[in-house]
Amino acid sequence: MSEQFEPQIVAYCCKYCAYAAGDLAGSMRLNYPSNVKVVQVPCSGRVDIIHMMKALEEGADGIYVAG
Amino acid sequence: MIVADRKPLEEILEMIKDYEKVLLVGCKGCVTVCNVGGRKEVEVLGAALRIARKKEGRPITLDETTIERQCDPEYLEQIRDIHDQYDGILSMACGVGPQFLSEAYPNQKFYPTINTKFMGGATEHGVWEERCAGCGTCLIHKYDGLCPIARCSKSIMHGPCGGSAKGQCEVSDDIECIWDTIVRKKMEQGRLEDLRIIRENKDWRTARDGGPRKSIREELKK
Repeated sequence: MSEQFEPQIVAYCCKYCAYAAGDLAGSMRLNYPSNVKVVQVPCSGRVDIIHMMKALEEGADGIYVAG
Repeated sequence: MIVADRKPLEEILEMIKDYEKVLLVGCKGCVTVCNVGGRKEVEVLGAALRIARKKEGRPITLDETTIERQCDPEYLEQIRDIHDQYDGILSMACGVGPQFLSEAYPNQKFYPTINTKFMGGATEHGVWEERCAGCGTCLIHKYDGLCPIARCSKSIMHGPCGGSAKGQCEVSDDIECIWDTIVRKKMEQGRLEDLRIIRENKDWRTARDGGPRKSIREELKK
């Protein structure tokens, strides 16, 4: 059986909305795929091209910014 | 400030294709202000080059540093201890940078990563325009603060020429006819007669026509 490609995703999440939503989901015992790695940022406006470049350089296959 | 654009990634990769260890040097002067060669741009280019080489299956060791200015010898000393540890060095400064670096470290090889364009300023966020041609004899006061040398495609001093239409230059719709603007401003200020003054020919020897230039301030020399 061939192994299915599972992309590694880095998620930059705003402390006040997306990350809080993630927290709430956790409290509700909901889960999200383990290939999504969450990074909390003080504001999604803080996310710069360099954050995405570094993540890609370190092996991420995709990035999303939530805020 | 000096305004520049970054070279395409492919061109930079071609320059360092045979190298395995490279240093990328940024500059905190003009190119930081025009968002082309400062610390942030060094990090972004460094990451892009490392990713591209990794993708080619030939990973590269690429270190980054950004010095105060590449156009002053004392700041170039900041890389003296490490400059010989690399196969080649990429400069992220204007055209002055790689040359000053080459003069300071004759045994090393230096490559430009940006194309130096002009002396100008930001007219809006992300847009820079040419304002000075460095002709060596400033005439701006004769044209109400608007320089026909830098801003007229032909650098004429008695315009507008026949190529001016609706305030635009015939060279491109993106170019303002500065002579149209000069005449309008003179009319608004009731000083159109100024343009009838017959002036002496401009001495172009102070511009590039006189060869590479030098500025000496005796009181500052040691």
